[in-house]
Parts: sequence; structure tokens; C-alpha cells
Amino acid sequence: MNVGLEHYLVVSALLFALGLLGVIVRRNLLVIYMSLELMLNAANLALVAFSRFNHNLDGQVMVFFIITVAAAEVAVGLALIVALYRKRETAHVEDLTTMKF
Amino acid sequence: MNAFSYLDLLNLLGPETILVLTSLAALFVDLGALRDQPLPRRWLAGGGVTALGGLLAILWLTNVTAQANLAHGILVVDPLTQLVKVVLVAMLLFTVALSLRAEFTEHVGEYFCLLLLATVGMMFLVSSEDVLTIFVALELTSLSLYILTAFNKRSLVSAEAGLKYFLFGGVAAAFTLFGLSLIYGLAGSTNLREIATNLAGKGTDPLLMVALIMVVMGFGFKIAAVPFHLWAPDAYQGAPTPAAALIASGSKVASFFVFAKVMALGFAGIEGNGAWRQFAPGWVPVLATLAVASMLLGNLAAIAQSSVKRLLAYSAIAHAGYMLLGLLAMSNPHRRADGMAALVYYITTYGLTTIGAFGVVQIVERTGGDSLENFAGFSRRAPLVAVCLMVFMLSLAGIPPLAGFFGKFYLFTAAAGAEPGNLGLLWLVIFAIAMSAVSLYYYLQVLKRAFVAAPAEAAIAPVVSFMERLTLALLALAVVVLGALPAWLLGPIADAIKAAGF
Repeated sequence: MNVGLEHYLVVSALLFALGLLGVIVRRNLLVIYMSLELMLNAANLALVAFSRFNHNLDGQVMVFFIITVAAAEVAVGLALIVALYRKRETAHVEDLTTMKF
Repeated sequence: MNAFSYLDLLNLLGPETILVLTSLAALFVDLGALRDQPLPRRWLAGGGVTALGGLLAILWLTNVTAQANLAHGILVVDPLTQLVKVVLVAMLLFTVALSLRAEFTEHVGEYFCLLLLATVGMMFLVSSEDVLTIFVALELTSLSLYILTAFNKRSLVSAEAGLKYFLFGGVAAAFTLFGLSLIYGLAGSTNLREIATNLAGKGTDPLLMVALIMVVMGFGFKIAAVPFHLWAPDAYQGAPTPAAALIASGSKVASFFVFAKVMALGFAGIEGNGAWRQFAPGWVPVLATLAVASMLLGNLAAIAQSSVKRLLAYSAIAHAGYMLLGLLAMSNPHRRADGMAALVYYITTYGLTTIGAFGVVQIVERTGGDSLENFAGFSRRAPLVAVCLMVFMLSLAGIPPLAGFFGKFYLFTAAAGAEPGNLGLLWLVIFAIAMSAVSLYYYLQVLKRAFVAAPAEAAIAPVVSFMERLTLALLALAVVVLGALPAWLLGPIADAIKAAGF
């Protein structure tokens, strides 16, 4: 079988959808972070695939930046969990209900 | 890629460089020299260092005229971006002036460092016409603001607000990125203008529409447009008040500016049509829908609020709806300059007003909280601050002769005139005017408490520092003057837009 651009795109769309599903249905913040990473990596996969099939390196350059930014994002996210845990002793999103409407 | 010397680069990026160095200086001064000093002195020193850096950056921006477009839009410097950057740094300075008496944290150096880094992110955001730098700058801004939101370690809600902001922001960033990657794939370029050229003639490819919606989702989150607004009320309420002021002003200015660029430059050619009964798919109907939803939900939900910070958040959502009209006005390439001028004028005056409003809320908070009851009889406890509050609220509602009125006037005129010859977006303008009438109700609710209601028995007069008085008076003066003499701001904006060839 010849693997073409559309195969990569289908996989990347699936990864993105799985990530989004994880963010929506999971209740533990750490798992939600992992799902967020999955969404970013889906975009990375799409970028690399486009870059290869368009014969244009911009996409691959972008992927390196995104990997770095994603790492920084998780660092900030974990710091926020620590800050929250000190006050509430919980890492579940159901408990984040002090403020409503 | 054309070669450029690093000296030129330093010349173009002078203000950003100054602010980054200032952020390091603020950290080192606080952690190195002032570690054992009392807290008020540390706030003063940190604020002083930050203000000095900000003033230097403004001096540089107003005196060094540079114009360049490096590496296909990775860094675009022209009079328009310089002007918006001056506005951003000014908003940073006002925020700093309002934080000097803050008591929510002992990490003074980190606080100012993050304020500066967020501003640097916004400045890069303004200066980029390339998908890559837009994303990186967006993340720099967002990450700094997430931390600032959660900065109040003593409050239960601050960390929760930060986390909600982070979760929504993370998902929105992923959507933006996926959308941008699809656009890169379809257009084969990361530069906004090249994207528009390469997409021309593709019509409404379904994949392109998916990409467009995803990009709009990401930016819709940044500007807090319905239905991507859910983080805003929580973040505004939970964040330390000066940080909320920066989120509501500077971050909005930069996000709207770059959103306008992405839509008007990157998606030029797939505007579609949002005119009444002439619907055609494209970004105009999408943004028109967001605008209607934001104005409706923002204004109606604000009526029900008892916390004034939340009220301001919903009012910010409603204002995002009005500002989207400015973007819609830019859908006609021949009228693009008008739309841009109206938008920049509106976001500037709105930002100044909203910083002022948060400044007043911060003072009221010292007497117990930010609920409407705490405003009762405020005019008798702090007359000058109450007058400033009146100016800000009436300007937000759009009462002439304040800046808010002229902002709305120019914005609505630009939107109504976007499609000459037919009624075009007139239906949206009529809706927006009706909605601004609704908004008057809740702004007057706050003023009624402050000026008419009797103060509670145990009400105490709030402590107002000289710096806060000065800042609020300056902001109120700016709102009045820019309303009475809009040409003072509109003139430079129009010149800058012309010089930038937008």
C-alpha cells in the first residue's frame, strides 16, 4: 500500500479527536494535560506530513517550536496544579466549582 | 530569505529588548538587593524598575522610526505596529501603577517579570505576519497571563481561575494550531499574505472551512467571544485585580490586532457574505454570528451579576462583540483602512477605560469585597474615585462626549459602510446599537449604588494612595479628552495606517 498525505491527515485528525475526547470526558487534571499534549502532537504530525508532501521545510521548523512551547505549557500547567493542590488537596476538575456563572 | 545584520535587528527590536532586560532587572533587584526589605519598599522598587523600562521602551518607539519586513513577515515593523506597541506599553505602565499597593503576594520580582514578559509577548504578536511567530507570541502571552491569574496564593479562587483559564487556553491553542497546520498544508506557506495569494481561487474547500473555524475558535478564546468566553468571568474574578486589568486591556488589544490581521490579510478572498439574506460561506458570516452571540449573552448575563469584576467580564464579552464589527468592516479590501482605524481607536480607549474600572474595583475591594453592595454610598467615602468610576462606566456604556461613544460611533459607521451600495451589515449595526442600550442598565446599576444608595452602617473609607489617585485621574482625563477630541488619537492612527500601507 502506498502511504499518502491523506493517511497522515486521517491519523492526525484521529489523534486530535482522541485528545479532545480525553479533555472533555476525563476528570483527572494530569490525564487532561496528557490529552492536551495529544492534540498538540496531532497538529505536529499534520505539519510534518504537509511539509514533506509540499516540499517545503517551514512546517518542520514550526514543529520544533511547538515541541518547546508544549513543554513550557505543561510546566506552567503542573505549577498550577501544585498551587491548587496546596489549597484544595485535589486534582479533579469536579472540585473546581467555587465560581459559577 | 534576505540577509540582515544583527545591528539592524537590534534597532527594530529595541523596545522588546529593553523590556526583556527590564524583566531580568526586576527579578534581580528584588531577589538580590531587596530580599530582607519590608514588602511596600519592594513593591515600590520593582514598580520603579518596571516603569523605567516601560518609559524607555515608549521613548524608543516614538523616536526611532524604522520600517521593515524581515524573513517574509516573521517580524514586521511599521508605524502602525509601533503605535499599537506604544498603547500596549502604556497599558502595562498603568497596570504597574495600580499594583504598587498590592498585598496579594510576596513574590514581587516574579510578578513584575511576568507582567513584562506578557507585554513582550503581546508586542511580538502585534509585529508578526507569520503563522509561526503568531503562535509562539500567543503562547508567551498566554502562559504569562495564566501564572498571573493564579498569582494570589492567599485566595481560594485564584488558583482555580488560573487553572480554568489554562485548560480553556490549552484547548484553544491546540485548535488554533491544528487550524493553522491545515492552512499551511493547503497554502504551502506560513506567511499571511502568501497564504491569501495561494488560497485565491480555491473557493470554499471543506477542509479550508474546517481550518478557518478552528483558527476562529482559537482567537475567539483570546478575545473572549461567545461561545469561547467561559474562562473570562472566572479569570477576571479570581485573578489579582491588576492582573485582570492587563488581561482585559493589553491582551485584548494585541489579540484583536493580530486577529484582524489574520482575517483581513490571511483569509482575504474567502470573506463570504454576511449581509441580510445574501449569505455566502466565509469568515464574515462566522464572525457575525460570534458578534451577535457575544453582544447578546454578554449584555444579558452582565445584568444578573452581583460581583462587579464578573460584571466587567461580561461587559468585556459584550465589547468583544462590538469590536468584531470592526473586523467585519475590514472584509472589504477598499474599506479596510477605515475598519482598522475604528478598531484601533476602540480597543485603545476601551483598554484605558477598563483598566480604570478595575483600578476603582481594587480600591472598593479593600473595604470588604467587589460585590455591588460594597459600592453603596461610595461617592461619600471617596468622592474623587467615585467621579472617575462614573467617567469609566459611562464611557463603557457609550455616552457622549466620552471616548466610548466615539469608539462605538466610528466602529458602527465603518461596519455599516463596509459594503457600499447595499445595506450589508446594517442589520448587525442595528442589533449592536440596541444592545448598547441594554448595557446602560447594568453600568447605571453600579453608579446608582455608588451615588444614590446610602452607605452601610459599618462602611469604612477606603485607603487610596497618591499613585492610585493620580493613575485613575489620568485615565479618566484620557477618556474625557479622547472623547472630546477624538482626532488626537484618530489622526496618528490614520497616518500610521496609511504609512504602513495596510
